[in-house]
Formats: sequence, structure tokens, C-alpha cells
Amino acid sequence: MASNKKYWVGLEELHETPGFQEAAKNEFTPESASVEEFLAGTDLNESSTNRRDFLKFLGFGVTAATLAACETPVIKSIPYVNKPESITPGVPTYYASTFFDGTDYGSILVKTREGRPIFLKGNKKNGINKGSITARMNSSVLSLYDGTRLKNPVAEGAESTWTEVDDAIKSQLASISASGGTIALLTGTIISPSTSRAIVDFRLRYGADQVRVVSYDAVSNYGIRKANEMSFGKSMIPDYDFSQAKTIVSISADFMNNWLLNTQYLPDYLKNRNPDAEWMSKHFHFESTLSLTGSNADHRAAILPSQEASLVLALYNEIAKRTGAATYSVTTEGLPTEAIAKAADSLYSNRGASLVIAGCNDPHVQIVVNAINALLGNYGTIISTEAETFVKQGNDSDVLNLVSDMNAGTIGALIVYGVNPAYSLPNADAFIQGLDKVSLTVSMSSWADETASRCKFICPDHHYLESWNDYYPKTGHYALAQPTISQLYNTRQAQESLLRWSGNDVSYHDYIKDVWQNYATSMGGEELLFDDLWFNALRNGSLSVAEGGSIIEPTVNPESLQAAAASIGKGSGTSEGFEIILYTKVGIGDGTHATNPWLQELPDPISKITWDNYIAMNPADVEQFGFNMHYGQELPASVAKLTVGGKTIELPVIAQPGQKRGSVAVALGYGRGANQENIGRAAFRTKNYGGYDLDQDGKLRPIGVNAYPMVEMKDGVMMYHSHGAKIEATGATFPIAATQTHHTLMGRDSVVRETTFAILKSSPRSVYNPLHLLAVHEDGLATKKDVNDVDIWNAHPVEGVGHRWGMSIDLSTCIGCGACVTSCHSENNVPVVGKDEVRRGRDMHWLRIDRYYTSEQSLEKATAEGVGVIQAYREMEIAEFDNPSTVHMPMMCQHCNHAPCETVCPVAATTHSNEGLNQMTYNRCIGTRYCANNCPYKVRRFNWFNYKAYAKFTEVNPAQDEMARMVLNPDVTVRARGVMEKCSMCVQRIQGGKLAAKMKGEAVNDGSIITACAEACPTDAITFGDLNDSQSKVRAHENNDRTYHALAEVGVKPNVSYKVKVRNV
Amino acid sequence: MHKEAAIRQPLILGDKNYHDITVDVISPIENKAPKAWYLLITITGLISLWGLGCIVYLISTGIGVWGLNKTVGWAWDITNFVWWVGIGHAGTLISAVLLLFRQKWRMAINRSAEAMTIFAVMMAALFPGIHMGRIWVAYWVLPLPNTFGSLWVNFNSPLLWDVFAISTYFSVSLVFWYIGLIPDFATIRDRMTNPLTKKIYGLLSFGWSGRAKNWTRFEEVSLVLAGLATPLVFSVHSIVSMDFATSVIPGWHTTIFPPYFVSGAVFSGFAMVLTLLLIMRKVMKLENYITIKHVEYMNIVIIVTGSIVGVAYLTELFISWYSGVEYESYAFINRFSGPYLWAYWSMMICNVISPQLFWFKKIRTNLTATFILSIVVNIGMWFERFVIIVTSLHRDYVPSSWSMFYPTWVDIGIFLGTIGIFFTLFLLFARFFPVLALNELKTILKVSGEKYKKEDH
Repeated sequence: MASNKKYWVGLEELHETPGFQEAAKNEFTPESASVEEFLAGTDLNESSTNRRDFLKFLGFGVTAATLAACETPVIKSIPYVNKPESITPGVPTYYASTFFDGTDYGSILVKTREGRPIFLKGNKKNGINKGSITARMNSSVLSLYDGTRLKNPVAEGAESTWTEVDDAIKSQLASISASGGTIALLTGTIISPSTSRAIVDFRLRYGADQVRVVSYDAVSNYGIRKANEMSFGKSMIPDYDFSQAKTIVSISADFMNNWLLNTQYLPDYLKNRNPDAEWMSKHFHFESTLSLTGSNADHRAAILPSQEASLVLALYNEIAKRTGAATYSVTTEGLPTEAIAKAADSLYSNRGASLVIAGCNDPHVQIVVNAINALLGNYGTIISTEAETFVKQGNDSDVLNLVSDMNAGTIGALIVYGVNPAYSLPNADAFIQGLDKVSLTVSMSSWADETASRCKFICPDHHYLESWNDYYPKTGHYALAQPTISQLYNTRQAQESLLRWSGNDVSYHDYIKDVWQNYATSMGGEELLFDDLWFNALRNGSLSVAEGGSIIEPTVNPESLQAAAASIGKGSGTSEGFEIILYTKVGIGDGTHATNPWLQELPDPISKITWDNYIAMNPADVEQFGFNMHYGQELPASVAKLTVGGKTIELPVIAQPGQKRGSVAVALGYGRGANQENIGRAAFRTKNYGGYDLDQDGKLRPIGVNAYPMVEMKDGVMMYHSHGAKIEATGATFPIAATQTHHTLMGRDSVVRETTFAILKSSPRSVYNPLHLLAVHEDGLATKKDVNDVDIWNAHPVEGVGHRWGMSIDLSTCIGCGACVTSCHSENNVPVVGKDEVRRGRDMHWLRIDRYYTSEQSLEKATAEGVGVIQAYREMEIAEFDNPSTVHMPMMCQHCNHAPCETVCPVAATTHSNEGLNQMTYNRCIGTRYCANNCPYKVRRFNWFNYKAYAKFTEVNPAQDEMARMVLNPDVTVRARGVMEKCSMCVQRIQGGKLAAKMKGEAVNDGSIITACAEACPTDAITFGDLNDSQSKVRAHENNDRTYHALAEVGVKPNVSYKVKVRNV
Repeated sequence: MHKEAAIRQPLILGDKNYHDITVDVISPIENKAPKAWYLLITITGLISLWGLGCIVYLISTGIGVWGLNKTVGWAWDITNFVWWVGIGHAGTLISAVLLLFRQKWRMAINRSAEAMTIFAVMMAALFPGIHMGRIWVAYWVLPLPNTFGSLWVNFNSPLLWDVFAISTYFSVSLVFWYIGLIPDFATIRDRMTNPLTKKIYGLLSFGWSGRAKNWTRFEEVSLVLAGLATPLVFSVHSIVSMDFATSVIPGWHTTIFPPYFVSGAVFSGFAMVLTLLLIMRKVMKLENYITIKHVEYMNIVIIVTGSIVGVAYLTELFISWYSGVEYESYAFINRFSGPYLWAYWSMMICNVISPQLFWFKKIRTNLTATFILSIVVNIGMWFERFVIIVTSLHRDYVPSSWSMFYPTWVDIGIFLGTIGIFFTLFLLFARFFPVLALNELKTILKVSGEKYKKEDH
């Protein structure tokens, strides 16, 4: 019944209209076409899309949408709309500029990539430093990206704007000036002519009598200027020409790294230190603590700091005896008389071509030094009477007066530029107290540092890589600094601030040009167009012109000499307790760069200790106190309390061979940020597993202790040594992080080879650089063969096939300064690992400098004396206590042709290139560390952690900082956790150099490719090149008789060779 | 049937018949485990978990959690690896070499010795894995066809040989062990009443029916595997030793290493077997099967291998002097007089002097003395590897890089962890597997059983 009912769709069906019948036949109307049809607008019948295709499309669409949603976040690289002419992505641009921070001066080249400065090197073609730079200089690129630099001007502790700050400062200055108050401008040494003129403008604006300009240097050489004033009537420092000096006697002057224009002196000095030349200069060094310069001297004698004066006078007497001049009475008790006589002989026989210098800030000592040089006739030849050096213009008594005036309330305004007096003044406490009595205090510091954080206004200066500037370091030499990046933060160049406050709206760039225009006549003569001169100077970074005329008469005022000799003759009086020397380190210097992690991690060239300062004490004294003699991973140093002049510091004690018994040395420049100033992430102590090591009050602990308060003021001069220090044990210990904990060579002749100049010149190679002969059987006969001719492999031919990159390192000219280490750090994105990891023996330096002391024991001596071999080896581990001879040996991957690392890698991640390079393929490495174990030189470095992200390294590794990451070299991979890395011989530079040569269609020229270390070396001790290029320098070195391969008898055939160290004793 | 001289001491003591053997071996599986077992496995389990936690921390954080440094790139990791591989030598030696030499006394100890081998090799294999900086790409050590380009493993590298040697050794040992277990599993299956356990042991026994055909094949496979395993006993540790011998590091670069390592391995393996069996025979009341005679035999092997090891130590010293190579001679002077002299002299006392006590019959048949000395030997063997690895690396060619090695809690934790895992596995084995090769034992009952020996005469 149910099935016979009929339902209609509508009346149309019931009536069976023709329209309905038509429609029923054709179910899908043209309007309801398929998707494709609908989109394409074609006829349905011709469509190829059916239901299944539709589902396919749908499926695809959904999947595609899903996948698109899963995509990793897109980091947009925005292309240039208009490409700047000078920037091609991937191609570095170099700018000539100049570095000056009050300590180091030098012409530099700034490498920029995509507009970012990432690497610094010396300007070898122009400038008085001839390309020589220090580790402090090439590391300074990192401070540009320091995220703790001030990002805005600060007024009363709060961020402000330039207009507000300017208005406030200007009105206050005006009112102080109007009310007759004094405006003090406290600066470091200013060698910039334009800055000086800006200061003059400023003085004009606010009253020349009311503006008082005081400059001081954190580490002062005021004594020299003062002595010259007393000797010659002019407060100046002459220009020294080390390149002509045949004998150099230095009394505590660390001229290789920490003395006046050291970047100029070092290459000049090294000119005469080439053992392959006819003659070699002789270098005598008298000092109390083993310095970088002392470690490189031919003769070194240790003296007490209090003996410096009598030693200088004794030396004067020795010379005077030879020249027939009058002598002065002085006690020679305890002086190294033999060495003094030897030095005097050498000086006298090279009179007119010798040089005596002293680091001591005591004017009396410097007067006698002047007299010695005058006796020897060195003025006019080695010491210029016409050119002077303008660095270190600080006046110690001026700054002391300023501090007392501040406390007396007579200073209305204080503007601090380029110095950090609240940290680096000996009487910083008085300065800080005085600050409160000054109504307007302004700092130009880029950081809210010790001084700036206590000032009412901070007008942050640009970083020098963002700035224009000019320099006049010595007579006849002008230099320019130019910005290499647009300013990163809302900072303003200090000079511009001064100009604004003087009511001048000109940009500093235009201002410099204006100054130079005025100088143009003296700089380049009238015939030159100024624009040519300017652009030339800008391109070259510097400009040298003939200038001057005699400025002093080289006769020492006899009265001043008399007085000095009399004062020295009296003696310093007997002193109880220890004498203390305050010195500056190669890495940290005066403390300006103390927050730079590259420099903190740079091992001290002598002690090899990183991230700390300490009390250096002779091992014999250490023994006597019962302090810990050795430092190592689990061997902490004993902490001692050092009291001198009512000031007490607690520091770990290090046994330092070569330190004079009865004296201790403490480095300046540490203890920055003791009052929680935000001066840099790496400025403070960190915990073993990351995070800052806070004290019981929850405060950050600075690295090391500030020793500036121990600087003694004597007759208005800062003295860096004093006596009567008391040392007490505290019973505490402190961990020490050193990259080297074993200090002697253990008689291993094939690691370091050393000879004397006399032997080198008089003997065949077999005497000073014998070949390693191996006993072999040939044709049934026992014979001896050069180890290089013995091979059990069918080695790939390397001689004469394509390129073969190699390196030669001259141990004679390497001074161990560490500039190569930081340069390599910067070029190759080497991670900074912090104190705890260095302590654990996991520093990541691709290039290290090994430092060895001599020991009193040797196997030969032991045999002769009948000492057993076990005992002998134990004694050989101990360095000579009093005056060890020191050798520095740069050590990096030796790129062995028979590399032991290559054979043992299970996955062939380290392989040999057909150009002689030992290559490391990071992304193939699985991290078994077998290669590192099998490396005889121990140069491979393992990524123990994820340095670029692990919390332990947040505070120390720049790669973990948003800003500091910009310093990374885009050509070099940042290595992942768990892979091995090592020196690549800057393979990115080799490839770049080859490409450039290919583009030009020529062969790779010798010298066109240079590694970062060779580039940084201030003494050209490292030569890189193609060993298969018979004309290359490195080939010439390789063929030299002094050349040897380290550990040649292992038979690994390195592509790096060393040249025997030669001392001119 | 095989006849044995009456003068030989019986290998199975007491009045045992076939059924007794079955019951003695299988009753621990059938009965409830004693409280002590639960206590022990809780302890070892906790230690294992601690070790696993350390491994997780290691892998998630980086190799830096160990105490290694730029100079000492291997220390406890590879020391433990070589130590465990060495321990893993006894099992196969007992089952394969002694089988070929028809040493019937091996039958009482081969099952547990082999189990120990398997577990020790597992522990050993852990270390090369976790010591890698990037364990997630560990498979790159296998010569697999890949899409990375023409990348292939480096067949020159002894570390690669290790991969092959250890994996081969492990798989052959495992198969050999398992083959031996099949008839015993069948026996258990036949005795089980619980259907689930019956099913499980049934599966494990691969349908063994005990027919003569089964037995012939069993014998044949055992012999073939013994033949295969015998060279492996010597190859594995020889290859492990080549990790060191083919290097250029003084103290590693030594041709004496392969035989020296193999005898050292047998030495430590037997010591570990003794440590385990002396407890097991007591706890599981197997004194009638693992007799004083067995202990004595093993102690004799320990004297022999210990003496070989001692000679090797002295040879090394002599050669270091005789070679005239300053690095080589210093490496050895440093070993016995340098900062790690305590490790060297611990090794000498434990490995060279202590086994010589076994010349005294009283000592080698004294169970307490044997137990103590077996532990001493393994301590000594651990120090041997530590001495070879760490004291060679810490002062090699360039004195500036000389350093010390200090273990961290992670180093120690992982080592203890492997001991925990090892004992956990062994406890599980003792609980669920037949600890003696009961069916094999039955073959010697009528030859070497005390009862039958007495009856014969």
C-alpha cells in the first residue's frame, strides 16, 4: 500500500510542463559547473575535472595550506632599494681609521661587512705604527656592540633627550660662568687638534679664566715630562727612534706593550732583531716583575723597585767612567753590578746609537736617564731633539689640585671626558666626595661607569668606530678617524657636545675639516688642493709632513742632575716588608677594556692566567709563606692580604718566576664595577654553572681588585711602586684559570730550539738546528736518515703540485704579545668560555702562545751530578726561580701532511685538502675526540657545550648577546655543540683570495692572502703563503737554516715551521 | 660414552640424578623470589636510574659535564668502555674456546658467564655511543648508503674497526648464548603449570622437542658458533687495543698491545665471573655444581693471564727505556713517578702482585680469598685502562698542554650507573633464566658426577 503513492517535486512535474521535462533531462544547469569549469569559464562537457579530481584538488589545497602553516618563522632580509656604492653583500670594505684610547695609539684598517665593522687590523702602509697593533686595539671592535653602552643621554639618573640635557647643561654652565664659578674639564690626554680647538671654543664661551682644563692619564708618565722640563727646560716627551738603536737598556720600561707610543717602538725595535741580518741589537732589561718586554730581552736582571734609582745612577757612573765625566756616589749594594757593567760596555761601544729608557715615574730617575743618553750622544740620533710625542700629557699634580678644589667647593661644574677618575685616580674616594660639592657634573662616558653613574648628566659619547676624529700623536704626523657604521644608539660625539654647549651647531666632521683647512699649509704646502689633501689623509688614515726644528738642546741641566744624583745617593731608606709594583697587563691595560670578554680570556703572556689579577710573588717567597706553589684546575691559589700605605687588598698569590725576591706585583685595571655599575656583561665574576656570582648582599662581584688606590703620590707624581707592604695569609684559597699550567720545556729540543747570535753566525746548521736522524736499515746496513726522508706511506705528492699553504713562525721575533690570539678570536668566531671553563682546561683558542721558562735542572746536568732520572725530571718541572729565560711559541694546527688526526676519524670529518690544509668538516663531525687525542701538538678544540645558547656562557660569550652577535664574521660558521674545531689557516681568506685572483685572471700573488694572525702580528713573526711558490716569502723561510718543524721526529710533516730563537747574549 | 679418569675430581658433587639437576636449576624460576632478591634489584635499579639520569643530563647538556679537557679527550668514558669489553671476554672464552678444548668443567659456568658477557658488552657499547659529541648522528659510523653525497666512513680509523668488532662480537655471543638456552627453556616450559609462563617459555624455546635430530643440530650449531666465536675472543680486544696502538701518543703507540689487551681481558673477565658466581652459588645453593674445583680452575686461568699482563707491563717499561725515545721513556717514567703514580701502583699491586697469591693452593681454594681477590683484580684492571688512557694523554709531546684530569659527579654517576644496570640485568637473568646449562650438565652427570664416579669404583 505504501508504495503506490506519488509525490511531486512541484506543480511543474504534475503538469509535465516542457520546461520541466527539459530540465529533468539536464540535471546540472550551466550555472552549476565544476570548480574548474567555473573558474575557467569553459563548457562543462569539455571539462576534465570530475568529482575525484575535485577531491584531489581539495586534498592538495588543504595539505598545502597545512604545510604552509608549519613553515619556520621567516627572517626577512630586506634588499637595498638603492645599493650603496661601497657595499656589496659578501664583499668586505675596509676603512682607514685611527685608534687612540689614552694608552694605545695606532693607524688601523676597519673591515666592514654589510655595513658592520667586524675586524680590525693595523694599517701597514700608513701611520707611525707600521701596522703594529696590540690585542687591546684589535679587540676594541667588540665594545662597539656592547649592549650595556648608554642608549640615550641621562639626566639625574633617568634617560632623557639631547635637547633637554643640552638645555639644562647650557643654562647651568651659563649661570656658573656668570656667577664667576669655575668650570673644570677633566680629560685624558688629548692629541686631537680639533678637540683641542673645540675646548678652546668652549673656554671662550664660558670665560677662558673660568674654564680649567685638567688632563691626567690613568697610568701616568708625568715623571718623564717633568724630568725633561727640569733637564732641558721643556715639558715634553721626545720621539724615540728604536730602529737605529744598537743597544737598548730598559729599566722597567715595558716598551713593547705598555709604554708611551709602544705601537711605534715595537716594529722599529724588531727591525734590528733579525738574526739573519749582519747584526742584531742588544737588549738589556732591568725590572722587578717579569714583563712582556723583559721576557724578550737578551739580558735580564731582576732588581727591587727601590733599586731602580741607584741602578740608573750606577749605570751613569759606569758610562761616566768610560767617557771621563764626573761620577756620583751611590750604593751599589745588591745591584746586579756585572750586568750593569756589561750594559755600560755595550752602550759605550755603541754610543750615539744606543738608548737608555726607564719606566719609572720618578723625575730624578728620568733626569739621570737623560744624562746617560746625553753622555752617550744619543740625542739627535736615537732620541729626537726636534720631534716630540704627544701621548701621555697628563699632569698628576693638576688633577690632585682639582680634587682638592672640588672638595673645597670651589668648582662649579665638572665635565669629565675620556677618563674614569672615580675608578682610576689614586684618591678616587676624595674625588667621589668632591663630586657631591660640584653643582653640575657631566660625564661623556659611553657607559654609566664608576664616574658617570655619579654624575648628574651623562652625555654618552659615540664609540670611536662611529666617530670622526683627528690625531696628532707626534711632530709631523696627522691622522684621521672616520665612522665605519652609523651610530647604533642615541649617542653624540663628545666634541659635538662641547660644540653645542659653546653654541656651535656645526657637525664635528665639518669642524675637523675646518681645523685641517687652517693647518693645510703646514700639512701639505699651499700648492696642494685642500680636497686632495683631505681625501688622501682620509683614505690613508694619516698624513706625515716635515715639521718642526730643534725644540731642545741635548744638554742636561747640571743642577738638575746634581740634585737628582744627590737625592738618589741618599737612598730610599731602609724599608721593612715587601716592595710592591703596580703594572698594567697586556690584555686589560689600564682597565678601560676590562669588560671586553676577548681580552679577559686572553691569557696573560707571562703567567697565562685569564680573568683575574693576582699578587705575583717569587716562588721562593711563596714557599716561605707556605702559600700554594702551583695553580691548576683543582689547585687554587692561596689568598693573601696585602697592606700598603694603609690600603688593604685581598688577592690570590701566584708564584711568578723572575719576580724579584722581596717584591710583589699587582696589575692595575681590575676591580671595575665594584659599585654595581652597568659597564658590561663580562665585567663580573660568574658562577661555575652560569649566572653571576653574587656576594652575600646579593651584589655583583667585580673581577679582581682595583689596585689604583695603592698608587702612591710622591712630590706630585704618581708612583707605581712603593715599599713597606705587609703580606699576611688569610687561609682562604681562590680558583685560578690558566691556559698553561706546566711551565718548562722538560729538555725537549724538538719543541723549542734556541741559540745565540754568536753561535748562529759562527757555526754550521748542525750545531744550532740539527736534523732529526733516524736509525734505519737499508740494504742490510744500519744507517741514519733524515726523518723527512723516511716514510712508510705512499704519500700524495705535495711538493710542486698546486698550492701548498704553509706558515713560518720566527721564534726570534715573536714577543708573545697575544695580538694574534685576539685577532684569530675575532676572525674565526672563537667562542669565549669564561673563567670556569678555562680553569677546566677548555679554552677554545685556535691559536695559543706557549710560554716556557728555563729550569735549573737538565738531564745533562743531572747525569753529570749523579742525580737519578726520576728526580731529574721532577726538578726539570720547576722553573728557575729568580731569573728564568723565557721563550714564547705560537702554536696552532700545524696542518700536517701526514696528519695523525686524519687517519683516526671514523667518519672522515677531518681530511687533507689538496692544498696542504688539514680541513675540519664541522657538519660531518660526530665528536669522538679521537683526533684531539692523537694530535701531538694538542691544538684541537672541542665544543664541550652549546656555547652560543647554554646558560653557563650567557654572561661571557658575545655570541649570546643580541647586539654583540653582530661582530661575528659571516664567512665563518659558528660551531655547534659536540664538534671539533681548530685553526683552519683562515680557509675563508684563502678561498676569497683565490677567487679574487681568478676573477682578475692571474696567479695568486704572494702576500695577497694573509691569515688573521699573520696580519695582526706587530713584529711580522708569522709569515703565511704558498710553499709551492718558489718566490714566496714563506718558501724562503722554509729554506732557511734556522727553520725546523716542531716535533719533526714524529714524522707528521707539518706545513707550519718555526725558526730557531736567537738571543744576542 | 666419554670416559673420565677416576683420579679426576668429580664436577658434580652430591647424590644427583637428572631430575635433581632439573629441580636444582629450575626451582628458583618456579618458586617465589626471596626478599633479598627484591632488595637487591631495588638497589641496583635505583643505581641504574641514577646512571640513566646522568646520561640524559650528559646528552642534553654536552660532553663538558664530564671532566675532560683539551688535553685529555678521553678518560673515564673509554676507560669504562675497555673495562667492560674486557669483562665481556670471559663468557665467550669459556663457552667457545673451552668447548673446543673439551673442557667439561665449563658447563657449570658457561651460561652465567655468557650472560655476564652479553650484559658487559652492552655496558661497553654504551660508552662509545654516549662519548660522542653528537650521539644523534652516531649512525654515521656505519657504512650506510646515504644521500649526503659521496660520504663514506673512514676505513683507516680503528674506531670504525671497533664498531664492527664489537657489534660482531655482541651478535655472535648473543646467538651462541641463546642457542644454548633453547633446550633449557624447553625443560622449563615442560615443567610450567601457569599457562602464561608456559606460553612464554614455549615461545622462547622455539618448539624444541628434544628429539635426537634437535640434539644433533644443537651440537652442530654450537660447534660452528664456537668456531666462529673463538677468533672473535682474540679479535675484539686486539682491535680495541688498536685504538691506542695505532696512534702517535707515547704510551699508546705500542705493538705489544693486542696480546696484552686480550690476556688482560680474559684476566678481568674471569675475575668478574668469579665475583658473580661465588655469590650466585651461595645464594642459589649451587655448591654442588659450581665446586671448589671450578673456582680453582678459574683461579689458575687468573694466575696465567695475570702473569702475562705483568710481563707485558715490564716489557713496556723495558722497551720505553730501550727505545731511546725521550717521549716514550718520559711517558713511562711519568706513569710510575708522576702525578698519577697512585693509579700506576694500584694497577701494579692489584694486577701483578695480588694474583700471584693464587700460587698457594690454600688461597686459590679459599672462597673468601678468591672473592676478595676477584674484586681486587677488577679494580686493578680498571686502573690499567685509566693509566693507559689518562696518564698517556695528560703529558704527551708539548709540555705547555700538560694537564690533569679530574672526574666530575657525572663521570662517576655514569660509571656507577652501568654497574647498576649490569647487576640489574644479571639479577633478572638469575631470576627468570636457567643459570646453569642444565641439559648440558646432564651430559656429564654420568661421567663426572660424584655419585657415578663412586659407583664405578
